[in-house]
Order: sequence, then C-alpha cells, then structure tokens
Amino acid sequence: MTLAERLGAYLSRTRGRPTSVETLARISGGASRETYRFDTVTNGAREGLILRRDPPGSLIETDRRLEFLAIRSFAGKGVAAPEALVLEEVGAELERPFFIMTRVEGGAAGSPFAADPYGPHAAAIGEQFFSHLGRIAGEPVAGLPILAAAETPAPGDCWRRELDYWAGVIEADELHPQPIVRAAIRRLGRSPPPPPAKIAVVHGDYRSGNFLHDGAGAILALLDWEMAHLGDPLEDLAWAMDPLWSNPADGRVSGMVTADEGLAIWRRASGLEVDRAALDWWRLFASVKGQAIWTSSAKAWREGGMSEPILAFSGWYTARRQDEILATRLLEIDRP
Amino acid sequence: MTPALPDILMGQFVALSTPLPPEAGGDYAAGRTGMLAMLAILGAQEAERGIAVRLWENAAIRDLFAGVAADCDDALGGRLAAAAVDTDTRYEWAALDAANAELRRLLIDLHEAVEARGDAPRDRAILGLYADMARERRLVLPTG
Repeated sequence: MTLAERLGAYLSRTRGRPTSVETLARISGGASRETYRFDTVTNGAREGLILRRDPPGSLIETDRRLEFLAIRSFAGKGVAAPEALVLEEVGAELERPFFIMTRVEGGAAGSPFAADPYGPHAAAIGEQFFSHLGRIAGEPVAGLPILAAAETPAPGDCWRRELDYWAGVIEADELHPQPIVRAAIRRLGRSPPPPPAKIAVVHGDYRSGNFLHDGAGAILALLDWEMAHLGDPLEDLAWAMDPLWSNPADGRVSGMVTADEGLAIWRRASGLEVDRAALDWWRLFASVKGQAIWTSSAKAWREGGMSEPILAFSGWYTARRQDEILATRLLEIDRP
Repeated sequence: MTPALPDILMGQFVALSTPLPPEAGGDYAAGRTGMLAMLAILGAQEAERGIAVRLWENAAIRDLFAGVAADCDDALGGRLAAAAVDTDTRYEWAALDAANAELRRLLIDLHEAVEARGDAPRDRAILGLYADMARERRLVLPTG
C-alpha cells in the first residue's frame, strides 16, 4: 500500500467513516520529522491537513508528544499556532509515530539564508515575529497542555539543564574535535546567568524560516515546535536573534527589525524585562546549541547513508558559519 | 567534523542516484535539487581552498604550540613540543584531517590548562587563533 492508502485506512478507521486521502505530497518541514500536506475527503467534505511523521533515523531526539502538546497549548491564545488534531505515538497504520494538524493555506516560509527574505514587509513581519514570541513568553504555564509532557525546571536550573543537554549532544555526536564550541561551553559554565523572572514555554526553534507568512506582511502560522520545553524565555529570544539567521551585511535581525526594536516589541508583548547580562549568556548558549544541532546533522547524514542533502548542508556550511559566530562572540566577551 | 569534500561528493552521488517515492515529488524534489546545487557551489569553493586551509590551520596550531610549550608543565609541554616540530607530508584530505584532529585535541587540552592558570594573554591568543581558523574555513553562500 502507498503512504496515502495507509493514511486513508487509518483515518477511515478512526473517523468511523470511509475517508480518502488525496494530493499527498512531502514538503520541507524541518529535518527531524517527515512533513506531508494532504487533503481528506469524508462524506464529500474536503479538509486540508498536515502529517508530521518520525523519520527512520532522526536528526535530534525530539518527543512528538511534546511537540503536539506545545502546539495545543497555544490554541486560541493569540499565537499563530496551527490546530493539533491527532497524535499516534506508536504509529498505527503508518508504522512510525506521527501526528496530524490543520493546514494553514496561502503561506510560505522565508529562507533564513536569503539576503532580504521579507522585502518591503520586513518591519511588519518583525513586529509580529517578536510579538508572537513575547506572547509565548508571557503566557502563564499553569494549566497548559504541555505540562503533561514537559518537566518544569527550577528557575535556577534552566541554564544548566540546557547547557548540559547540548554539551552532551556534542560529546556524543562529534566526529572531529571542535575547540571553539568547547571553549564556549566552558565559558558558559564559569559564568551562569541569573534565574529567569518566570518559567515559560520555550518554542525551542523560534527563528526566521520557521513560520509561514502571506507575502504581504502577515504571519500565518508558527511551525516546528519539536524542541519545545519549559525554561527561561530568554532562550527563545537569543535563538531568534542568533547572527546565523541574519545576513552579515544587514544590521537587522533576520532582515526584519533591529535588535533593539525587536527587544522593545518583545518586552511589550510579554510584559517581561530583559536582563542584558542574562541575554548575553543565552546568546552565546544559542550558538552552542546551534553547533550541537549541526554536529548531529553531520553524524545523521553519515549514518543515514549520505542521502539527505539538507543534513549535509547543516553539518557543513551551517556548522562553519556557527563556528565563526562563536569565535567572534568569545573574542567580544573577553575583550579587555 | 564538518564533512570533507570527498564526502560531500559521495553524498551528491547517493542523493542523485536514489529514486524518491511518488509522494516526494513536486516542491519537495525541487527544494532537494536546489540544495544539491547549493552543495555543488560550496564544493567548488572547498575544492579551491580546502587543502590549503588545512595546511594553514595545522601549521598555525603548531606555531602556537612552539611558542607556549616551554611555559607548560612537563607532561603537556612535552606533547606540545613534539607536535610543534611535526609537519604535514601527505596531502590527501583524510591524512590532513587526521593530523588536524590530533592537533585540535591537543589545542583543547592547552586551552583548558591556560584557563586553569588564569593566563589571560595566552587565552586571548588562542581565541584569536579560533577566529582565524573559523574565518579561513568560511564558505560563502551565493547571493541573489
């Protein structure tokens, strides 16, 4: 049976009505899930949906239940999250774990490596980009669905938990010694940030390229919640502002707004203040986390038979760019 | 390790010679082809400079070791002095990367020792070398 036929069989069984799957097509949607768009037809009614299925081997170990519940946590909260509909943690007819969510029509994701990804709509996109992130940061976590799957760290432990995790990824996946990121890890360990004012949902991969926009200045949906967790909201802010996502010749964050403008928008939307020393810590951490992901990409590419070009690109170009960002940052921090 | 050029080229072969399932056509296939084209452009840069950069980096690390070996304790100083007088005699990608891996491991040990004794000038010199290493290995995305 084709994937479309298996998906149709699954939906017919779970809906209790014959359901056909049409126009199933794989789309780019992050390297740690296979993402497909498709239509269902049930009793003549057509619905546009998205399937996110675990790949045979994954770039980073992510919990699809966490991703599913993180998306659910922001339904109706003024954050452009799609609606998460179905979660199958064993795999049922599709053999591997998956979940299904609503499809947002009429949008495209900008490339994080494009010179000017949002053109004349940059300021409008930037306003929404940092506003959505601020709303995620400001949302009280009590009662959110994600609590059923995510550990709640003590405020003072947020930094250590994340640093230990990503340093461990580098230790496990590194195929060639990386002195630059190791120096950054030691630097971060020597000078922890102050604890956050509040524990928040951290999207985990909030950046240019991980949202759909309509090409006319409106953000339609925030994507790729697969690394969501609870922690310090500055973690997301620092990741979103990592120079990796920006054209080095452009003074704006991801070609949208300046860093100061972005921080001001975030503060307004979140109701939180930004501790500059803490943000600096998380900015260096963001590049460590990035390098860990690119290190895993290179390993996954080799172990997956070198068949996925996106993993080669991440493990090669992106890793080298991240090393340059890290080295520059280390020199700036320790400038006498 | 970021992949070496021979690995990238092997990956190009694998990706181009592996048929995609029917549901992975259209936009996904177009995006994948674009990524393969991007890798080819970056590969051209690496083919031009990759060997020279590896030779430069290995020599730069050895130069650093030569300048600090006498200031380190006997065990580390001896390893640094021995590495400093070595040279690259084989210019295959794998041979240069193997030598580079040994040098980088020793560089990490040296940096940890420098940090432990609070040697700010040497720490700064190592950070400067890191910046040079990262810049020399830079790959440039095409614009437009």
